Amino acid sequence: MTDSATAKQDRPALGSAGDAPTFWGRLVGWGPYRLLMQLATASPRRQFLILMIFPVLWVLTQHLGPMLYMIRVSLTDAYPVAPGVEQSFTLEHYAKFFTNSIFWQPFFRTLTFAATFTFCTLIITYPVAYFLARHVSRRNQMRFLLLLLIPFWVGEIVRTYAIMILLGNTGAVNLALQTLGLVDRPIPFMYTSFSMGMGIVYLTALYMLLPLYSALEKLPQSMNEAAADLGAGAWTRFRRISLPLTIEGISSGCTLVFLISTGFYATPVLLGGPSTTVFAETIAGFFHVAGDEWPTGAAFATIMFMAALVITFAFQKLMNALRKGEAK
Amino acid sequence: MTDPTPLVRIDGLSKHFGDTVALENLTLDIPQGQFVTFLGPSGCGKSTTLRILGGFERPTTGRVLLDGEDVTNQPPEKRQVNMVFQDYALFPHMTVAQNISFGLELKGMGRDAIRRRSSEIMAFLELEDFGARYPLQLSGGQRQRVALARALAPDPALLLLDEPLGALDAKLRGQVQQELKSIQRRTDKTFFFVTHDQEEALTMSDRIIVMNKGRMEQDGTPEELYFRPASRFVAEFLGETNLLTGRMRGTEGGQIVMDWQGTTLRGKAPRSLPGEGQPVSASVRLEKLDFHAQRPETGNAVQGRVVAKTFLGSRMALQIAVGDQAEAMLKAYVDVDTSERVGSDPVWIGWDPDHMAVLND
Amino acid sequence: MNDRPELFRGNRILLGCIYWAFVLYVFVPLILMVLMGFKDSRFIGFPIRSWTLDWYVGVFANTEVLSTFGYSIAIAVLSTLISVFVGTWIAVLLESRKFTGRPVIFGLTVLPALVPGIISAIAFRIYARWLGIEPGMGAIIWSHAVHNVPFVVLVVMARLSTLPKSQMEAARDLGADPLVAFVRITLPYLVPAILGASIFCLLLSFDDFVRSFFLGGYEPTLPVLIFAMLRSGMSPEINAIATVALIMTAGIGIWAERFTRRMKKDT
Repeated sequence: MTDSATAKQDRPALGSAGDAPTFWGRLVGWGPYRLLMQLATASPRRQFLILMIFPVLWVLTQHLGPMLYMIRVSLTDAYPVAPGVEQSFTLEHYAKFFTNSIFWQPFFRTLTFAATFTFCTLIITYPVAYFLARHVSRRNQMRFLLLLLIPFWVGEIVRTYAIMILLGNTGAVNLALQTLGLVDRPIPFMYTSFSMGMGIVYLTALYMLLPLYSALEKLPQSMNEAAADLGAGAWTRFRRISLPLTIEGISSGCTLVFLISTGFYATPVLLGGPSTTVFAETIAGFFHVAGDEWPTGAAFATIMFMAALVITFAFQKLMNALRKGEAK
Repeated sequence: MTDPTPLVRIDGLSKHFGDTVALENLTLDIPQGQFVTFLGPSGCGKSTTLRILGGFERPTTGRVLLDGEDVTNQPPEKRQVNMVFQDYALFPHMTVAQNISFGLELKGMGRDAIRRRSSEIMAFLELEDFGARYPLQLSGGQRQRVALARALAPDPALLLLDEPLGALDAKLRGQVQQELKSIQRRTDKTFFFVTHDQEEALTMSDRIIVMNKGRMEQDGTPEELYFRPASRFVAEFLGETNLLTGRMRGTEGGQIVMDWQGTTLRGKAPRSLPGEGQPVSASVRLEKLDFHAQRPETGNAVQGRVVAKTFLGSRMALQIAVGDQAEAMLKAYVDVDTSERVGSDPVWIGWDPDHMAVLND
Repeated sequence: MNDRPELFRGNRILLGCIYWAFVLYVFVPLILMVLMGFKDSRFIGFPIRSWTLDWYVGVFANTEVLSTFGYSIAIAVLSTLISVFVGTWIAVLLESRKFTGRPVIFGLTVLPALVPGIISAIAFRIYARWLGIEPGMGAIIWSHAVHNVPFVVLVVMARLSTLPKSQMEAARDLGADPLVAFVRITLPYLVPAILGASIFCLLLSFDDFVRSFFLGGYEPTLPVLIFAMLRSGMSPEINAIATVALIMTAGIGIWAERFTRRMKKDT
């Protein structure tokens, strides 16, 4: 039936010699291609299936696969498997974490650091985002934002190094303090939780700034004016109008920054010291030595991922509850 | 089926989106060369029909036959049907000439033939000077013509037009209506036009199909629909009308006899007759009412008094109170001279029974 | 009523100060780092008393460093090509219509962007071993490609959602099958988004440390090289290398920002 339909479509120019169809005309008229398309588009259902199959396979094998396989490896006694040896199921790697308190310290340190740094980032970037969204003309907003974007195109390691130079014993901050006569000898900023926090906030500020900015930008200016007209002071306006209406931006920014902060490896290694070892370094440790520690590393990574997920999930729930509470 | 095969046969078409019925059992033949308009409010099923004809939706039940061949399950690219979209859907990254050539290329036409055909169609629609321009550089009316040229270029058997005048301003719209009609005449193509604008439908169409809630209300020429609406919906949807609700008395010589405000009126019969004594309504167009000093000899007549006059430029609109206590109101369009003749004294208002359509509710 | 604009202005000045302080905070460390690369001494620290270009001469004379640049760029380009191809396909699927399981597919799509860096690197390391991918260029390209797909999907989806449905329908109506319609209509429309996403992927890949570190072989990428050099002590040579990398990335970023904005204005 379909054949007769195509036959009916007149193709007047095909006969005239030397008048070649365009590339697209030749392609859709080319037998094998037509057959292929006919098979592929036989029904909307089949067409959709063909569109769907590759993305679904990709996200399952490439996005979900590595995470699932990591969990699987964390439950085996040895990986990579030596030839001829049976791999068997075990929970010993998880037991190792829960029975050895030496691992707890870096674990909880990572979570508290990440939470603290996330909070610091929020406090620092909120006024910046507020200024950009509310006090800068629309035409200039993009320019002001771009100015902040530039440093963030620069990589993690280079920016970490910049912080090292800033905070070193002979760094710019100490030089300034000494020149001003505020201190006699350099303050040892480096290799402390302060230098690490400085570095991590420096690295993650943009991921907080952008969600906050887009949430604030959506608020109509008239709301603030209406509130002011009703006699609300600056602080009240902020607390009763801007803050509740940007909770969504705050929550997604914080989630993003928290997850990124827990995952840093190079920055704590370079900026931190023995007293600030984070869990990322513990996990990495299992991969630097012989391969038979891999399952332990996988188990620890899984524990951390689960912890990060639970915390962000709880946080989002809390934020939602807060928003609903404010709405009442 | 001894008739020659119609160009389009729509056979028992229904479309359901979940629980909502967009189209219910539509059956219709369209012969070659007709300007057919689907008219109705939004959600009446007119666009669904159009999209099924174009191949963008598949019906829940029913078939579409194009030139005798079942195309119900054919994708749009296989059909000899082209469409002018409501937003024109011109390709912004292609020039006018490239837009027009797009369909020709995919028909496998040669480069020279494409050039010939596209300049032919551009000349036909007076677009020669715009070939190298991009759609964004054109005015609304020009874009509309490009969309038409693009759809006509591949020489479709059926052209679908989805409210293509909606985006134009009122002044331009009138001009484009004339143009469209003349293009349709000159190309002798079958146009399937969808609109919610009754004026547009009345000006351009050979045939109008009024849709309501997924069903066909009436199918006929603009004159038939206007002067002999089959239902209250059609009467009210097309132009302004006087709706007279009375009581059925019976039939007499092919005419319906009804009582209205103590007067006996005669009108044209609908397809199905209401029972005797049943309430019945009838429609008389505003411009069909005549004014007389004496009761006219033939036809329907009632006595009333003009209570308000509104100047409308080329004509006057009169409000007439019928009966002693102004039990009913009628509206009439008259020319300015007549309106000056009619004072506030009681007058006789008459009309031809042929101009009063008794309605199926 | 008169004191209220005053009140707004007071806020404005205070917030403006905070903004400019923040600008200083993000720029000053980088500026200092760049300056240090011109210091005529092996010793990193202030004050800088004399200046030199020797460190830069050294960088451009060092074939090992130059080949590291090339290696990083090659990885960035190849992984970007994969990310863009896959990401665009996923975006087209997610924007095509509503279907059961769409939220699940979307969730899985953005997953790699949400997994903390170290965990993602570990997971990729183990999975690569299972797939039989040896540590090295291939493994890095693969991990970068997977990690960057979500960003492509989000950017392309945003653009795709603004393409009127009638465009594809018009193409189909004029005889294009779905594939031809996609290549000739949808793809040209997506060009600004795809370019923007590509640049973003290039930068993400070029700057990435943790995946390159755990999936790399003997040859380091640029961030891994800088990291290794830093572990054995700071030197102005590192500043020179880092400055070259900084100029490249920031330059590409600014250029892309302006370019994509101009393209969006055109269409």
